[in-house]
Amino acid sequence: MAGAAGTDQKVAKHESNSGTEFGAEKNGKKFNKDDVGDENLAAYIFGIDDLRLRPYKLPPVGKKDVKVTIKAVGICGSDVAYVKHLQVGNYVVKEPMVIGHECAGVVEEIGSEVKDLAVGDRVALEPGVPCWDCSLCKQGLYNLCPDMKFFATPPVQGALAKQVVHPAGMCFKLPENVTLEEGAMCEPLSVAVHTCNRSNVGPATRVLVIGGGAIGLVTLLCAKAFGSLQVVVADTHNERLSVAKALGADAVVLISKKDEDMERELKEIQDAMGAPIDVTCDCVGTRKSLTTALEATRSAGRVCLVGMRESNMDLPIAAAAAREVDLVGVFRYRHTYPLCLDLISSGRVNVKPLITNRFHFSQQEVKDAFKTSAEGKGAIKVMFDL
Amino acid sequence: MGVEGETKSVATEQGLSANGAQEEVGSGENMAVWVCGIDDLKMKPFKLPSTLGNDEVRVRMKAVGICGSDVHYLKHLQCGDFIVKEPMVIGHECAGIVEEIGKDVEHLKVGDRVALEPGIACHRCDLCKEGCYNLCPKMKFFATPPVHGSLAQEVVHPADLCFKLPENVTLEEGAMCEPLSVGVHACRRAGVGPPTKVLILGAGPIGLVTMLSAHAFGSPKVVVADISPERLKVAKELGADATVLVSTDVKDVDKEVTALQEAMGARIDVTCDCAGVTKTMTTALKATRSGGNICLIGMGHHDMTVPLTPAAAREVNVLGVFRYRNTYPLCLDLISSGRINVKPLITDRFGFSETEAKNAFERSANGGSSIKVMFNL
Repeated sequence: MAGAAGTDQKVAKHESNSGTEFGAEKNGKKFNKDDVGDENLAAYIFGIDDLRLRPYKLPPVGKKDVKVTIKAVGICGSDVAYVKHLQVGNYVVKEPMVIGHECAGVVEEIGSEVKDLAVGDRVALEPGVPCWDCSLCKQGLYNLCPDMKFFATPPVQGALAKQVVHPAGMCFKLPENVTLEEGAMCEPLSVAVHTCNRSNVGPATRVLVIGGGAIGLVTLLCAKAFGSLQVVVADTHNERLSVAKALGADAVVLISKKDEDMERELKEIQDAMGAPIDVTCDCVGTRKSLTTALEATRSAGRVCLVGMRESNMDLPIAAAAAREVDLVGVFRYRHTYPLCLDLISSGRVNVKPLITNRFHFSQQEVKDAFKTSAEGKGAIKVMFDL
Repeated sequence: MGVEGETKSVATEQGLSANGAQEEVGSGENMAVWVCGIDDLKMKPFKLPSTLGNDEVRVRMKAVGICGSDVHYLKHLQCGDFIVKEPMVIGHECAGIVEEIGKDVEHLKVGDRVALEPGIACHRCDLCKEGCYNLCPKMKFFATPPVHGSLAQEVVHPADLCFKLPENVTLEEGAMCEPLSVGVHACRRAGVGPPTKVLILGAGPIGLVTMLSAHAFGSPKVVVADISPERLKVAKELGADATVLVSTDVKDVDKEVTALQEAMGARIDVTCDCAGVTKTMTTALKATRSGGNICLIGMGHHDMTVPLTPAAAREVNVLGVFRYRNTYPLCLDLISSGRINVKPLITDRFGFSETEAKNAFERSANGGSSIKVMFNL
């Protein structure tokens, strides 16, 4: 989809192989050696499927900021989407952008007013910095802040870099027994925690999770941690269902992408649960998955729309509304990092099995890592170890 | 029409005269208005059970309002999955006077004026026990087939669903508790309160009672949108803080969303879609603020193609509203205390005869300046 960034496939106007070493234009200004003072390197999207390691000059460390040496970064479906399409929803990559947002690292430097962190602390970074002043922020709904600055959501630079600068308030110290990779996993796990909060998952709740990818799986783990009575996972791939079963799903159901199969699948899902389904988390977000969710959930139940595959969908909304099945959207998360760290530290959630592929931070490995993540198949979470 | 054929056999059972001559009120039988086919209303006897249950009351009907669903059954013999397969007494928005009480009835006595909550739930299933009795799969609801309605001289009903009218509440206002309950339930579901700015799409009777409810729940500002300038005028008279004329063309949505937001002058916290069609849902999904609530009350279209994902990505919740639960006492209190005035909604009145019934339903079906058509028995 070159159109998203203009007529050229490359986001940069020109990248010369001779002359200036870093010839890419950024805001009309060419990179030059002065920009590379501290040799911080980051993985930039320069165009579709065009990832390059380039110097990344950091802003100064503000009074309430910290500088973090990044040690672990996971790849998210949205990162892959930006690499493939330069666009996710209304966000368009218009100039080279550092990718990556699921991250953890070690504090290198602290601003003058930072009290709760010290150099050497291992931290998980919550990617989004809201404005803190608008009515949504003041109400605590900061994930919905219209001025949110989120790692790797254009035009904000991401965190797949050697170092980043971030507000100390959005860096959470890892308990002793939590690894840096687990710290990075707090990001996708947060989506699951927020989903379970939004849909009121508790000890009496029977949960259907549609989609056994990384998000479906953290949702499964989280629902169990929230005390859910029973969790059934549905997916189109048997391998994913095996993983779900190994991670604790009470039952799994193979579904297809075909409408004709829906009636039969609804019955199989309901038989698998063996009781009314209180909450369905649609971690796919297509017309079929959401229709299945609306029809499978019991009256007065909740459907969480977590996945965002399709935008305009033809749905039997009136039928669901007439049974007071609530349709609840989930956008990222809020106030979840402390709980995520606690869930991991206490052993209530084990995210380690989700990390299936590891790469180091080099030009070639970055390309390979994204290729692996995009291909799906056996890869659940692809993690960079820096 | 199969239903017609069945009518004749039912008629014999019900004691209609052999030549099908119209029975008159006052013949000694309990007369009711029946849907016997499409656009086919007949006044015929309605036999009540001969013994009154211990927990039941027999009520003499005095006021019955016509609902859009009553009209729909008359025009289509069907509403959603409910199909009229044999003649059915119509009507469910009602109030009357207690004529007889069952052995175990303690809170009512003969002569009490009561509003009747139409739906009898099972009280045994999980949904009932959870308090969501409006969603009971075994619900028996006046004039939802196969359960007979209450546009009759007398009905028998569980006493616990009959609510005594305060002294200063009229029987017509008692009947209005039914549609008002929908508005009250919607406001509860959506969490309407003193900070809540509410947009109402559709200024028919349900849009209007929802507006009245929103104000009663403390909403500081209610904007009402409709395709009819006439209905908007009524909404304004009844207290809408602003009104916006909208079209039926989906292409106008973006332009209208801007107009609606400007009319509110602030973010829209709750949108009540009282029409329930693709265009109104699309408008609601775009107009409601992040983290806000949409109540889907109207049941216009079954399947809708709507831009759900962008709204879900702003955590706009879509909450369905089906009838109501635990609303009658509050409705009576809202009316009695003067916080809600439903009287202006009653625009047309008819008496109780077959001809009057036909005319009343015609008037209701035509809409226009009619809001609530009421029978006085």
